[in-house]
Amino acid sequence: MNDTSDATIKDGPMVELGGVHLTLSSAAGPVNILRGVDLVIRRRERFGIVGPSGSGKSTLLMVAAGLERPNAGSVHIDGADLGTLDEDRLARFRRDRVGIVFQSFHLMATMTAVENVAIPLELAGRNDAFARAGEMLGAVGLAERALHYPGQLSGGEQQRVALARAFIAAPRLLLADEPTGNLDQTTGALVIDLMFALQAKYGSTLILISHDPDLVQHCDRIAHIRDGRIERIEDGQRSDA
Amino acid sequence: MNDGGGMILAFRLARRELRGGARGLRIAVLCLALGVGAIAGVGSATRSINAELAAEARTLLGGDVEIALRHRAIDDAQRGFLTSAGALSEATEMRAMAHSDGRHLLVELKAVDDLYPLHGTVRLEPEMALSQALGFENGTAGAVVESGVLVRLGLRLGDRMRVGEETFAVRAVLIHEPDRAAASFTLGPRVLIGQNSLGKTELVQPGSLVENRYRIRFAPGIDPASWIETLKAKFPDAGWRIRDLADAAPRIKDLVARLGLYLTLVGLASLLVGGVGVANAIKTYLDRRTETIATLRCLGASARLVFSTYLLQVLALASVGIAAGLAVGAALPLVLAPLIGEFLPVALRFGIHLQPLALAGSYGLLTAILFALWPLSRTRHVAPSLLFRALAAPAPSRRDAAAIAGIAALAVLLTILAIASTADRKLALWFVGGVVISFLAFRLAGFGLEHLARAAAHRFYVSNGHPTLRLALTNLSRPGAPTPSVVLSLGIGLTVLTTVVMIEANLARQVKNDMPAHAPAFFFIDIQPSQVEAFETAVRSVPGVLGIDRVPHLRGRISKIAGIPADQAAIAPEAQWVTRSDRGVTYAARPPAGAKIVAGEWWPEDYQGPPLLSFDADAAKGMGVGVGDMLTINVLGREIDARIANLRRIEWSTLGVNFTIILSPGVLESAPQTHIASVTTTREAEDAVEAVIADRFSNISAVRVKAAIETVASILDHIATALRLATAVTLSVGLLVLAAATAAGQEKRIYDSVILKVLGAQRIDVLKTYAFEFAVIGLATAMLACLLGTGAAFILITEAMHTEWTFEPGAALAPLGIGLLVTLTFGFVGCWRALTQPAARLLRAP
Repeated sequence: MNDTSDATIKDGPMVELGGVHLTLSSAAGPVNILRGVDLVIRRRERFGIVGPSGSGKSTLLMVAAGLERPNAGSVHIDGADLGTLDEDRLARFRRDRVGIVFQSFHLMATMTAVENVAIPLELAGRNDAFARAGEMLGAVGLAERALHYPGQLSGGEQQRVALARAFIAAPRLLLADEPTGNLDQTTGALVIDLMFALQAKYGSTLILISHDPDLVQHCDRIAHIRDGRIERIEDGQRSDA
Repeated sequence: MNDGGGMILAFRLARRELRGGARGLRIAVLCLALGVGAIAGVGSATRSINAELAAEARTLLGGDVEIALRHRAIDDAQRGFLTSAGALSEATEMRAMAHSDGRHLLVELKAVDDLYPLHGTVRLEPEMALSQALGFENGTAGAVVESGVLVRLGLRLGDRMRVGEETFAVRAVLIHEPDRAAASFTLGPRVLIGQNSLGKTELVQPGSLVENRYRIRFAPGIDPASWIETLKAKFPDAGWRIRDLADAAPRIKDLVARLGLYLTLVGLASLLVGGVGVANAIKTYLDRRTETIATLRCLGASARLVFSTYLLQVLALASVGIAAGLAVGAALPLVLAPLIGEFLPVALRFGIHLQPLALAGSYGLLTAILFALWPLSRTRHVAPSLLFRALAAPAPSRRDAAAIAGIAALAVLLTILAIASTADRKLALWFVGGVVISFLAFRLAGFGLEHLARAAAHRFYVSNGHPTLRLALTNLSRPGAPTPSVVLSLGIGLTVLTTVVMIEANLARQVKNDMPAHAPAFFFIDIQPSQVEAFETAVRSVPGVLGIDRVPHLRGRISKIAGIPADQAAIAPEAQWVTRSDRGVTYAARPPAGAKIVAGEWWPEDYQGPPLLSFDADAAKGMGVGVGDMLTINVLGREIDARIANLRRIEWSTLGVNFTIILSPGVLESAPQTHIASVTTTREAEDAVEAVIADRFSNISAVRVKAAIETVASILDHIATALRLATAVTLSVGLLVLAAATAAGQEKRIYDSVILKVLGAQRIDVLKTYAFEFAVIGLATAMLACLLGTGAAFILITEAMHTEWTFEPGAALAPLGIGLLVTLTFGFVGCWRALTQPAARLLRAP
């Protein structure tokens, strides 16, 4: 039993942001990144976010992951009020319920592919971490590369390892920040197909940030964000929904 | 809640991290290895020497117990008691003149009996039995001499030499004297003769400076401790000095302990300088792993897990450094053996001594964690959001209470360890205080320098001039500039250097340079009262003699202080030498020439009342007595109660004839005594004076003042060499840290110089920039080091060594020069590398 599941409301929305404001300090003075964001995302939904650079897309993702605390407003993820959790409980919350895929992969350079994938389960104290990591690598087509270090893998392969790592704990929420941003078109398409397939398989809710309009069109809904506010939300064209 | 198996997981993650190598931490490992190596080496060497001294105690002492008496021999009752305990061997030691064909030499004469040595072996060249070498052959007694006697008297084996009134045939060269460590400070080479031929030399006269040593090899079944107690109880007024096996080589043991202590403290200073290197290296290492840490945090690792993971890595690498240091330290006695062998009475052998190694290892571990804790604590504040935003708002600089508490606890632990493991607690406390003050001073100086440089750079901005100087000042103060760590690491090293050089200069001056313009050329000892007139006439007959200062000389021991037995009185450590053994005693109607009476008054010339006493003012202070107090002096077994009439400030450095105790007339005139004289001559007259006395008075020994001073200077020189070597370790560690700190800023330096070149700066401009930057750091650091080092030297000289302090400008300038040289060299090397970088490649880089 983990200490963040008590507040879970199984049938409620996966993400519920209410009046979220976030201001960061910078050398040039405070910068208002999010200016009152209200957002509800349903369970298992694929939710795309688009917007120009500096509009607050990544910050919104960080707020949802509990990596950034808003100055005002409420953040409920999977029924848990993130505002009530301290740093370490937030860390455990992410470990148990959130998977993240980054544009720059962020694999540990000194760990092999299988070790990278196993980390979330190792953190959870699971004895089957490496067995499961091996299976996950098989699921993303990299069983043969299990003992390779990130430096020995191509960009596409690294992102597939990152996907395996993100999904190994069967997260309820998957956050993907420009997952194809560092990949060529063909590889990017391969990775995105894989991500959608895994999301469907594990029943996760997906929040996807991308500059690529074609990519977000595969989502259920798409939010357009500008200057820290959600301008509008439109329906996407998810084909497998 | 499960945190992934806690330490086991942290261990696994640490192991994986270390696979990528520990390039950034190599300096930390090296710093620790050097510091731990120095401490372990000194500890192992000290322990090895002590172990050998203990193992050879019986040989060094010459028996199971030694009873020593000055001036006189034991009486029949005492002899009877001593012989009843086992085999008794008797040796008589004194200084005497050896003569041959008009050459004269002061020698350390030792007359031994047939049982000598009770333990160990005398080695002679050519090999023969000692009894054979010292025996009579054709009516001539034999002697065994150290090779120096042959060289300086121009003798060969078989030749004859005269000692006192007896002629000896030199039969062999003395290669090894087993009980040599028991000897006092020596002024000449050794000459061994038989006890049965000593009488014929006629050197032993009433009051002569003779030491009689009685060594006993106990018969089976005798318990040494209880036997000694019985001896003391049976002859409470014997006035002898008793030494047992635990006290076999006290001088060398004391010297080794004291030198070991100073060297350990210098080693500890090296380790602490290395600690700065550890902190810098770990900070750089962790900076490079910020992304990894953020990723771990994103994946759900707790701050504690991340901290543990990196702490384990630091511990693993610290273990490597400490192990390397311990290996070097354990092997050091092996390396030192051939270098210091000639100064030791025992052979230094290799052995693993766990206690000093454990101590050095503990110092290393505590230092590593102490300095690693602050940079490690920053891992708790790495924001996972860094992964999303390349330029996230900088993490607020939070005060980490746990880290601060941990650092304070470790510092206290290190202090306790330093004080508890040091015999001289006061010195250890001074050291800890000095370290804390130095660290704070250099830290503040580093920040102060940054602040000043920033302000000065701003002025240049405003005035729009001196772009190279402005850049240099900006380099000193830009965020992440290595200024504070360079100042700290170099500063501590230079402080230790200044301290050592300043102490060395002070001691050297006192021994060599303080020789007064008219220092006596000779001290003549053992002048019999009947010879006084003839002696003075003979000396004055030599042209070039400038003066004679002669006084009666007896030996006496302070037995009671204001009625309290001296061994029960509370005496300050710096004054304990006065009561530890016999002191020279004289009597006089008039105060000595140049005497400074600081309390009380000198007695009238014709004084005939109860015994009065003139006493050394410093000794009186240490013993807590003053004018009017009573001292009881035991002279040749006679107890004399004398009231202190005055206190004198004695300037020992004038090299005149000085006595701690001077009694009023009418007390000692009839006691057996000799006279002692200092003779001042021109340099040209020295040999003639020695010859005229040696030819006429075979029992009077001439001590050449210059030779004695050279002996002391040579001992000091060897001690100084050891201290200099230890200081070199501290400076090397400082240079390592300095090199690492400047290398860390090298990338920025290269970029700056390329941009400057692109903008039209000439090489000389860039060079000037770096020269100025490093000169400012070097000069500021060296000046502060000079100040702190001089302060430390002052405290050590006045408080620990209790000698006179003089500021030596030369000693202060040396570290200043080294500081500038070191920083400028590092600056120029960095600058050269920066200037040789092709601009295009750097500018094309993404």
